[in-house]
Amino acid sequence: MKICITSTGENLDSFIDPRFGRCQYFLIVDEKGKLLKAIPNQGVQAIRGAGVTAAQIVANEKVEAVITGNIGPNAFMVLGQSGIKIYAGVFRVKASQALEMFNQGKISECRAPMPGFGRRRGMEGR
Amino acid sequence: MEKIAITGGKGGTGKSTVAVLLANKFVSKGKRVVLCDLDVECPNDYLLLGQKLKNRIGKVYAEFPKLNKTKCRKCGLCVRNCRSNAIFQAPGQYPIFIYDLCSGCGLCSRICPYGAIELKKKVIGEIYLNRVSKDLHLVTGAAKAGLEETGPVVRGVKKIALKLARKIRADIVLFDTSAGIHCPVIAALQNVDYAYVITEPTPLGAYDLALILDLCRKLSVKAKIVLNQANLGDKRIVQKVLEKFKIKKFTFQIPYSEKIVRAYSQGKLLEFLSKEF
Repeated sequence: MKICITSTGENLDSFIDPRFGRCQYFLIVDEKGKLLKAIPNQGVQAIRGAGVTAAQIVANEKVEAVITGNIGPNAFMVLGQSGIKIYAGVFRVKASQALEMFNQGKISECRAPMPGFGRRRGMEGR
Repeated sequence: MEKIAITGGKGGTGKSTVAVLLANKFVSKGKRVVLCDLDVECPNDYLLLGQKLKNRIGKVYAEFPKLNKTKCRKCGLCVRNCRSNAIFQAPGQYPIFIYDLCSGCGLCSRICPYGAIELKKKVIGEIYLNRVSKDLHLVTGAAKAGLEETGPVVRGVKKIALKLARKIRADIVLFDTSAGIHCPVIAALQNVDYAYVITEPTPLGAYDLALILDLCRKLSVKAKIVLNQANLGDKRIVQKVLEKFKIKKFTFQIPYSEKIVRAYSQGKLLEFLSKEF
């Protein structure tokens, strides 16, 4: 099982980046917590649709779960449709700690999108 | 037929007022004028002219993608090329279109090698016509509420206004743009003969003037400067901007006038002008 953690840096000692669509890096780890790769988020500067772009990167990695702080409605919708589980509400901890919390079942699955706080808050045209 | 834009960067500098002033000036010189309100997000030249938006002469459409699943081979070309990041595809699945993000550009349909993406028309704006006087026609564009990208509306309204102008053999078409330097302003400024850039002698006016002059330069549109409320504020800060862009002088300077403000507030600008000027 592969898991994605949104992060401010490229290793597990980096702090979690609370913004899904506009995070700095996607850390891809296996079920044992081994870092498989760190993908820089090309969508950070997107004028619009950063959440969808991020979701596309994550989906292409065939992960089963995403651990992040906050996720907007568009990304929530498309990840949900891809069968990827979203664990959100994780703030101010290192990626390694977030993973530990996840493994201990301390992070609950996110069932509704949160109001985003990226550049345009994922609320285009509403 | 001369095509003139009225723009200014900053909001509230008097673009619409000057547009109406100019329209009236040209009419008084015996020209036939089409005034085209391209501030499609909040068009209000008609209010300044004491008109009502009743006579709808057309609609503007954008085309949004719809997937034909029998033709789609899930190749992902549309996903990789969408400039609005409005297409998502889970591995091995059909692409999904996120309409809130879609600008209606139609690129996905054009590049699909299997012809699997059809385009469906959706109304994004409306066009109204008012015959204000014998020689003054007003064309107003109005975008649908909540529309993200209004540049295509401007382009659509412009096309119809130009068609009308040719039909009635107009001498002058005035395009009143919105504030700002974004997509709808760019669309309004494209292919005009020159632009009147309205500014005011304030730090905000000067700053936004530099932005719009930069845009005009990029679009190769000749800018003529109109200084509104010229006797208020500090003219020098605006002059500095003109020097930077190598513009020698103000084409017009309009002093502050309570009479204009009064006429403006009452929607009697045209009536007032025909008496006073």
